[in-house]
Amino acid sequence: MARAAVLGGLRRLPWLTATAREIVVETARVRTIVLDVDGWSGHRAGQHLDVRLTAEDGYQAQRTYSIASAPEEDLVRITVERVEDGEVSPYLAGELAPGDVLEIRGPVGGYFTWSADEPGPLLLVAGGVGLVPLMSMLRHRAAHGSAVQAHLLVSARSADDVLYRDELETLQPRGGLRVARTYTREPPPGWTGWSRRVDAEMLADVSPGQGARCFVCGPTPFVELVNDLLVAGDHDPRDVHAERFGPTGG
Amino acid sequence: MTMDDQHIDGNGIAGLLGEIAAAEMTSVLRTCQSCGDRRAIGEHRAYRAAGVVLRCPSCEDVALVIGMQETRLVVEWRGRYEIER
Repeated sequence: MARAAVLGGLRRLPWLTATAREIVVETARVRTIVLDVDGWSGHRAGQHLDVRLTAEDGYQAQRTYSIASAPEEDLVRITVERVEDGEVSPYLAGELAPGDVLEIRGPVGGYFTWSADEPGPLLLVAGGVGLVPLMSMLRHRAAHGSAVQAHLLVSARSADDVLYRDELETLQPRGGLRVARTYTREPPPGWTGWSRRVDAEMLADVSPGQGARCFVCGPTPFVELVNDLLVAGDHDPRDVHAERFGPTGG
Repeated sequence: MTMDDQHIDGNGIAGLLGEIAAAEMTSVLRTCQSCGDRRAIGEHRAYRAAGVVLRCPSCEDVALVIGMQETRLVVEWRGRYEIER
């Protein structure tokens, strides 16, 4: 029995069948896929899953995507940006339709995660689609009714590039929650807020203070910059958790 | 494009690491054989090509090499890994 239990514990993460139930157009290049996963074991906010596509000739391509939904939701959401010339994302963020079936495995990752029973406050910094795992944390905070102080800074090229725009306005509980934006290319007409790349002054303004748990997600150069700024701004490196995605994805 | 622009990090290969180790690997702490820094695997830089090379975020020395063949993974570990049971 003991040996069986040990072997069970070592069993490899299996590939699961996931059916797309709904496709949500987020921006011109980004879609959310709502998945019904057979045998999903649940996840923690910030974790990922792997998607595997198999062509008719047997060729397989595999990519990792952050989970956007809260652990409390029945269905699993991933938000995918179309990478031109990519092998997987043009299909997921383009051709995939409700009823289509994918192979996924997960959840994976444990470094870039937050649970509502852990202490805050939180400083969340997103570059573009780097908002996805941070949104899972905020949705989890909402589902949990957690009053943990959570400050989010979103850097996007324009207002049209901000994911979950409407939902960010209605996230609960509002107490302790702050959502700040900076537009790096094309601020909306009449915008009086930030319209430049993230810098030290911006982070000092948004930060809930030293001791905040910082989660930074975005393209590699963005993450490197914000990570360096946070550490230079007296955040303990052990409090700064970063997740990079690069041009090698897609 | 420089090498720096191409890397992601250990979080992006969590599924692959799960094929190798029974533990959740991205939060495992690794002490570098080269510079002595102790950092989580999720913080390491991951370079993907035919396989994956994971590098120390402090000194960039090689931490882990995963060669991917059709029916097997060939893995070379460097440094000290502390794996929670």
